[in-house]
Amino acid sequence: MEAFFEALLGGLVLGLIYVAIAVGLTIIFGTLRLVNFAHGAFYAIGAYVGLVIAQHIGVGWAFVAAPIAVALFAVLLDRLVLRSFYDKEPTAQLLVTFGIALVVEETLRLIFGATTQQYQMPGSLQGSVTLGPITYPAYRLLFAAGVIVMLALVWLFIERTNYGLIVRAGVRDRIMVQLLGGNIRQASTIVFALGAAIAGLVGAAATPIYSIDPGTGFAFLVPSFVVVVVGGLGSFWGAVLGGLLIGELQSLTNLAYAPASNVVIYLCMALVLLLRPQGLLGESEVIRQ
Amino acid sequence: MTTSTATEAAPAPHESTSMLWADARFVVLCALGIAAFPFLLHPLGGYSTLATQIAIVSIASIGFNLLLGYAGTLSYGHAMFYGGGGYIAAILLLRTMPVHPNLWLAVAGATVGTAILAVLVGAVTVRLYGIYFALLTLAFAQMVFFIVEQAKDWTNGDDGLQALPNALLPIGPWNIDLTRHLPSINLGPLGDLGELTLWYIFAGICLLLVLILFRVLTRSQFGEVLGAIRENEQRSTLIGFNAAGYRLAAFAISGALTGFAGALRGLFDGTVPVDSLGIDRSGSFVIYTVVGGVQTLFGPVAGTAVIMFLENVLSAKTPAWRLIEGLIFVGVIVFLPRGLATVLKQQRDKNPRALFVRSLRPSTEEPDPLLKPTGEGRRSGPLSIVETFKLGKLFGHFAANRDIDFRVDPGELRAVIGPNGAGKTTFFNLLAGTIAPTAGTINYKGRDVSRVSGTQRVHLGIAKAFQTASLYPDQSVRQNCRLAALARVQGAFALQVFRRSMRLDDVDALAERAMDRLELTGVADIRAGDLSHGDKKRLDIAIALATQPQILLLDEPIAGMSKDEARKTEALIRKLSTEMTVLIIEHDMEMVMGISDSITVLHQGTVLATGTPAEIRDNPRVQEAYLGGHSEAELAHG
Repeated sequence: MEAFFEALLGGLVLGLIYVAIAVGLTIIFGTLRLVNFAHGAFYAIGAYVGLVIAQHIGVGWAFVAAPIAVALFAVLLDRLVLRSFYDKEPTAQLLVTFGIALVVEETLRLIFGATTQQYQMPGSLQGSVTLGPITYPAYRLLFAAGVIVMLALVWLFIERTNYGLIVRAGVRDRIMVQLLGGNIRQASTIVFALGAAIAGLVGAAATPIYSIDPGTGFAFLVPSFVVVVVGGLGSFWGAVLGGLLIGELQSLTNLAYAPASNVVIYLCMALVLLLRPQGLLGESEVIRQ
Repeated sequence: MTTSTATEAAPAPHESTSMLWADARFVVLCALGIAAFPFLLHPLGGYSTLATQIAIVSIASIGFNLLLGYAGTLSYGHAMFYGGGGYIAAILLLRTMPVHPNLWLAVAGATVGTAILAVLVGAVTVRLYGIYFALLTLAFAQMVFFIVEQAKDWTNGDDGLQALPNALLPIGPWNIDLTRHLPSINLGPLGDLGELTLWYIFAGICLLLVLILFRVLTRSQFGEVLGAIRENEQRSTLIGFNAAGYRLAAFAISGALTGFAGALRGLFDGTVPVDSLGIDRSGSFVIYTVVGGVQTLFGPVAGTAVIMFLENVLSAKTPAWRLIEGLIFVGVIVFLPRGLATVLKQQRDKNPRALFVRSLRPSTEEPDPLLKPTGEGRRSGPLSIVETFKLGKLFGHFAANRDIDFRVDPGELRAVIGPNGAGKTTFFNLLAGTIAPTAGTINYKGRDVSRVSGTQRVHLGIAKAFQTASLYPDQSVRQNCRLAALARVQGAFALQVFRRSMRLDDVDALAERAMDRLELTGVADIRAGDLSHGDKKRLDIAIALATQPQILLLDEPIAGMSKDEARKTEALIRKLSTEMTVLIIEHDMEMVMGISDSITVLHQGTVLATGTPAEIRDNPRVQEAYLGGHSEAELAHG
């Protein structure tokens, strides 16, 4: 029973990481129509920046530096490479972002080596909390709460600001938004940087929980894409629902029959694609893009 | 893209000779290239094993490219075929022929097995596109990986299958051992090329055969249709091609070729590691093919050779080799989107016969036996050609069409008019079968076709021209029409991987006739994307016409045309209507009143009135719908 509750909480933490990455993917897709295979790289860069800052300066600064560094990297990437791919077919976008992911992963491997690394939270956060029948690491709970707060802020951004309006309208009809004079260019840069920063921040914050190696970005990216597809490309609540579903599914399968914990999410995605191709909360119009 | 018509059935002798010459030259050059390859590799460090591996993996990349380059979809799961082929071959050897391992049987079994796997996976993936397709193929590859990893009794789990028996290659009376070394070849100062085995010759011959097969396939009718589907799938399905069928066939061929290569690689190496099913393996085919050049014959071979060579050389020298590989990949995508092959050699066109295009012949005035008028008693027949009963279409809660009862007699020219948002285009889409009704039925010549797909309806005789012309912009006007004619002549799906469509005279005749009808013969060789707006709209009608329809649906055929063009097109439509039933949506009232036999007015998704032009003009409800509504301008401007 205790193992079950622990798995449930573990699934929540894992699921929230997926949600955070998937929300970035989704808002970037909505505004830029870009299917970003390099999004996992943002997570990995954030994690490594966080690691270095936490070890040399302080954990608090890691949480500030990681999202800023990743956002800057994203803007640079956007300006230098991706810009010319926005109007191209999805396959070309997949290829170029896949290539960027490869380059980032290998660069990280050269700089930091291939071994897994981790940093520790300060002593005050290393304790455990007793929740009914189980005791659970305090930092994991704090992490979960932090991600939820951050997601709430992102939701406010999408629902309550003009940029958010462009995001929401862009999901439905990007060309119309341009015709109406929406400043898509500026909005898209901001959204791209924001999506990247979310992944970078979560990467830095999650490293005390899930250790990092150069392949981690890709390892988180693929399930996050599964989340986006299951939830519905372009849908905020779809990413939330999909992320929690996939996180729990993976965590509980790991408890029941560990070797199947990776494959179960693909099975889930295949079923969703066959039965409801637009995703659980997706709108059918975006499917063919 | 020839202009041969029925009277010129056989290609002129000099053409076939020169084609034979080109084919022979191709084979000889490929064979020489493959033979020379180890000699090129040798001075760079002597990589005999690598040469054989490159030849084998190139076959897998060529297979992968059929999907990425020719069908236009990115598979991120091709390792399931590559590794799958290796495992099937290895298990066949170990389980069924431990004493007399036969390479033919093992490889044939692996190829058939992966082809079956590809058909099964393809059946559920080919209806998806872009990221969805990539992810679902990845998902299946991961499932295969999982199954293989778990079935330890058969596959040895994570350790993979090792120490495979050395399979012999029985040919006639001989039982060839491919691991035998070739006679050593002294290269003077460069040393001795003594490490090559018979395996290289065998792999080289396989690669040569695959290159020949692939060249034939991409130039065949099958390759032509696959290209058309990649360029404009919407149009392809509405001229009568079963797009999913073609994509599935491409997926199966691609999977089988990759499986074949995987089996060879396993037998050559003597081991099948579990990594051969992994995600990095799938990614490697993407890298090889893109770096070499998608949509080219030699690209995947060049890419495989360059990247595998670099891997081999650099991995020993620097830990940064994968970074270099990644930078090459990104560099190629950004700066050379069509790959290295385009630098090495500008692909000289797909179609040597294009050199022999003859000058245009004036069209003959004799009636064309291929275009029969609908003979079912014009206007007076008891049988309607199209009839709908209580037809409705809901989008969410919005009823775009509701309770439409509609009937058209054979040979009639019926206009469907109504204010903007009246549901005219939705109604046409229901008739053409591009969307399914949520209520009611559609009868075509007395048969209920409500559940028949748009593609099948084209073959029954219903064709549509789009409100915004839907063409193959990169093809000539003639080729646009030929594709439609090809669908008519060959049916929704034909696995014609060896025959070229340009050998089909009835296709050419139909296409020429369609161009002639729409007065496009003068621009037949122009790229469709370069046409003027009016010519594009007329080409769209010509494409519909080349499917030999009995009923033609024209959605705003003259919208956006100049006055002169509009009148000319109107006259052409009037002429067409003497031979087939025509339904037309149009806002130009002058035209509608002038050419229609009868008019149906749609208003708020349903039929407001049907009658002759005069009846409609005088109908008070119609006047109110137009003038009382928000569309006064429409009637005034026409």
